[in-house]
Amino acid sequence: MASTSSHTSAPHGVSHDDHYHHEPGFFEKYIFSTDHKMIGIQYGLSSLAFLFFGFLLMMAMRWQLAYPGKPIPVLGAIFEKVLGADMAQGGVMQADLYNSFGAMHGTIMVFLAIVPLAFGAFGNYVTPLQIGAPDMAFPRLNMASFHLYFLGGVVMLGSFFIPGGAAKSGWTSYSPLATLADPVNVIDGQTLWLIGMVLLITSSLLGAVNFITTIIQLRARGLTWMRLPFFVWAQFVTAFLLLLAFPPLEAAGLMQLADNVLGTSFFLPTGLVTSGGQVPVSGGGSPLLWQHLFWFLAHPEVYVLILPAMGVVSEIIANNTRKPLWGYRSLVFAVLSIGFLAFIVWAHHMYMTGMGTKIATFFQTTTMMISVPSVIILSALFISLWGGSIRFNTPMLFALAFLPMFGIGGLTGLPLGLNATDLYLHDSYYVIAHFHYVVAPGTIFALFAGVYYWYPKITGRVMNETFGKVHFWGSLVFMNLIFSPMFIQGIRGMSRRMYDGGATYFQDGVGADPGILKLNVSITHAAFGLALFQLPFIFNFFWSISNGKKVTSDNPWEATTLEWQTPTPPPHGNFASEPVVYRGPYEYSVPGAEKDFSPQGQPG
Amino acid sequence: MDIPYTVNPRSDTGLYNAKVGIWLFLASEVMLFGAFFSAYILLRVTAQQGFWPDVADGWPHGLLNIPIGTFNTAVLISSSVTVVMAWMALKENNFPKFRNFMLFTVACALGFLGIKTFEYKEKFSHYVIRTTDGKVVTGHFDVDGKSPLFWTLDTVKSKNIEKLKVEVDIPNRYRFPVGMQVPEDIHKAHAEGRHHDERVIEVSQIDSLKAFIPSTHPFFAIYFTMTFLHGLHVLGGAIVLAYFTFIGTDLWRKNPEQFTNRIEVGGLFWHFVDLVWIFLFPVVYLL
Amino acid sequence: MSLKTFHIVFVTVSVLLMLVIAAWNFGNYRDNGTQADLTWGVVSVIAAVGLLIYGKIFLRKFKNVSYL
Repeated sequence: MASTSSHTSAPHGVSHDDHYHHEPGFFEKYIFSTDHKMIGIQYGLSSLAFLFFGFLLMMAMRWQLAYPGKPIPVLGAIFEKVLGADMAQGGVMQADLYNSFGAMHGTIMVFLAIVPLAFGAFGNYVTPLQIGAPDMAFPRLNMASFHLYFLGGVVMLGSFFIPGGAAKSGWTSYSPLATLADPVNVIDGQTLWLIGMVLLITSSLLGAVNFITTIIQLRARGLTWMRLPFFVWAQFVTAFLLLLAFPPLEAAGLMQLADNVLGTSFFLPTGLVTSGGQVPVSGGGSPLLWQHLFWFLAHPEVYVLILPAMGVVSEIIANNTRKPLWGYRSLVFAVLSIGFLAFIVWAHHMYMTGMGTKIATFFQTTTMMISVPSVIILSALFISLWGGSIRFNTPMLFALAFLPMFGIGGLTGLPLGLNATDLYLHDSYYVIAHFHYVVAPGTIFALFAGVYYWYPKITGRVMNETFGKVHFWGSLVFMNLIFSPMFIQGIRGMSRRMYDGGATYFQDGVGADPGILKLNVSITHAAFGLALFQLPFIFNFFWSISNGKKVTSDNPWEATTLEWQTPTPPPHGNFASEPVVYRGPYEYSVPGAEKDFSPQGQPG
Repeated sequence: MDIPYTVNPRSDTGLYNAKVGIWLFLASEVMLFGAFFSAYILLRVTAQQGFWPDVADGWPHGLLNIPIGTFNTAVLISSSVTVVMAWMALKENNFPKFRNFMLFTVACALGFLGIKTFEYKEKFSHYVIRTTDGKVVTGHFDVDGKSPLFWTLDTVKSKNIEKLKVEVDIPNRYRFPVGMQVPEDIHKAHAEGRHHDERVIEVSQIDSLKAFIPSTHPFFAIYFTMTFLHGLHVLGGAIVLAYFTFIGTDLWRKNPEQFTNRIEVGGLFWHFVDLVWIFLFPVVYLL
Repeated sequence: MSLKTFHIVFVTVSVLLMLVIAAWNFGNYRDNGTQADLTWGVVSVIAAVGLLIYGKIFLRKFKNVSYL
């Protein structure tokens, strides 16, 4: 280990790379970079910005749910000015604006924030380092992938400002609603949404091809498949999911685009009538077709959101318990089974469509099957904690919190996977609570853990622990205060799509107990609390770049995997000399060893 | 450190990087076209009876030009043969031979696209006309000696045309799918060599008039979407192959092995594009 | 899978396509008795046989190229 630390001071990519005779200029270094680390950072910063933006959309929506019809403080005036009075009359959120914020919150969080952060940022930065590769297999494709992602983001953001506003048919964009939502404008928010999605899909396609090729071809000498860190396995399976599940959505997107722009009827049935009368289309299409193609992507997408998070958590847990992961092989096979099963569960989102009980039974069965490998992974991670001398640093706290939070999210998913209970819970706040438990205190916590964990490798400085702990405990408490009451609301019958939180629905005494509307207020307060506790993170993130405690070694966490055996930060080409791997990924506390960790690259 | 295995294969996988990459890309392409084929199946099995008038199952048959489609299939199959020959010529170190085979391949690609454009244009000037008495006919019509494209009933009315002289199709035998006999009178017309009936239709009697464009029927929607997407792939492949034939030949002098690899990767993509057509042709033209 | 292997797959699928076209033509001939359908059916069978022969020649000529 000590042998590599002496290379720390190697200047950027000059000493050992013939290709770079000159110091790259600003554009070459920061915008048109082909270095996987810079691309990872680009992905990281953009996706964190999108995460923040998506959060703001949600805050505005939460205000409307808690105080329907009251002007939104501060933001309301801005919305009225920028988006027009028909969107935010007097600073009050109108139904159309609520709908488009809802659709865009989902889209931005899934496609522009979490996946790019988990796959684009961490995957790009860490994977080549962990397999001992000098870069990704196709560096220029990697750059193109980021640029397409960025362009897709710009299109999505731009759609807020066109006449009619952004897409407002939910992130699922079900037809015929999506096609008919804006009958006035031909180039409407939905059209831009589809164009944006095609760009994002192309971006992730290039990324997926690159990741898989890199992992298959560029593993260091001695790094056999069963010596790969679990993080790499998770990225590998994720890349396959993206590679094979996204194209059907691209096809569906192109068909919906044709429905919107060319007037085709791929998803529009015969005899479609709206409040404007008979819709002037040929008809003969199938609304179910959209749902099948959409969920064929969107269910595997759930695993795209969660698998990299599991990868991050595994790395951090192994490192901070100072012992090997329990059941490494079962983890690997579990993640592979998830990858396979993820493709045959999609229609459990469609029990309400009346597609038939036989089909529903099939998908119910596969859905129950896929929970088995998920439970294997979670159990293995829990058992890994047993008997370890745990270091409770900030990354570890977030990783530990991931386990029960993801557990709640996963277990509450079972009633949704079963046909009989789902018919009742479908489209209620219960669904919102379930998948937010998986993604928000689940995946996002894991990603926070990853940020704290790899920050020293990227910047050479450690993030402040005190701020980190404040951030963690505040987030943990408020996340739960936000999402657990939603289970109650959902079980009591509150629909997820009502822009006044259900006030009009409950006022005439129909349906359930209006008492659950009071929870809307407390949830909104908790959301503001959560926002407050993100401030220490934002401050810490920027402040530590120049003021954090400097690391004294290339391996501050005393970890075993290869990324810690590079200089800090790694130069162009990553490794000072070709890395060779001699052992498995998590050889911590090997009896008889000199130290409590034996790095993969250490001979003997 | 340079990126390894860009040219030579890695010993345990036996592959160089680009070959892994292109196969992964092709896998995703299979999913893309697979989704369209699934969409085709779903649209077709849910098509309502009587929706397209002159056939039994609501799905139009025989509206596409089968001889031209068959010819285009032959063009693509030959281009796949020559692309392999071009690659082989490089392995034999015979660059002029490579160039000749590649020229033929690119010419085939452009020929295919040219024929496809002609087919598209023919469709855009082919109309389905529904009259107020509930009858539906298909055919072409001329206005001032030209076949107009993309007209609607509104266009006809806006030109103050009162009567349309329509070459009404006598349905060809492919309009009746396998397992269905051609009706006697149509059979007789074919035997006499008649394929069209000249008919004058009063514009005031027309209920709707639509060209064979995507919005007219889901069959055209899926036909145009799939063939257009396939056409884009042909165009993309042709551009890449033309690049290696005309512009990117420097690499052959500098690193012949890498150049040969690139031709192989280009050839793999080209084969895939042709393979898609081999499935597309019977599905949209014949069945 | 090298271009050689893919070409073999491609030729195989092309042969199948020719047989499908032949079956389709013979089906039409059975329904309507049109002479042209019979002719096209026979031409398709000949094309299938031709492609098979080409495939054999190809295999012999490309003996030294790897399948991987």
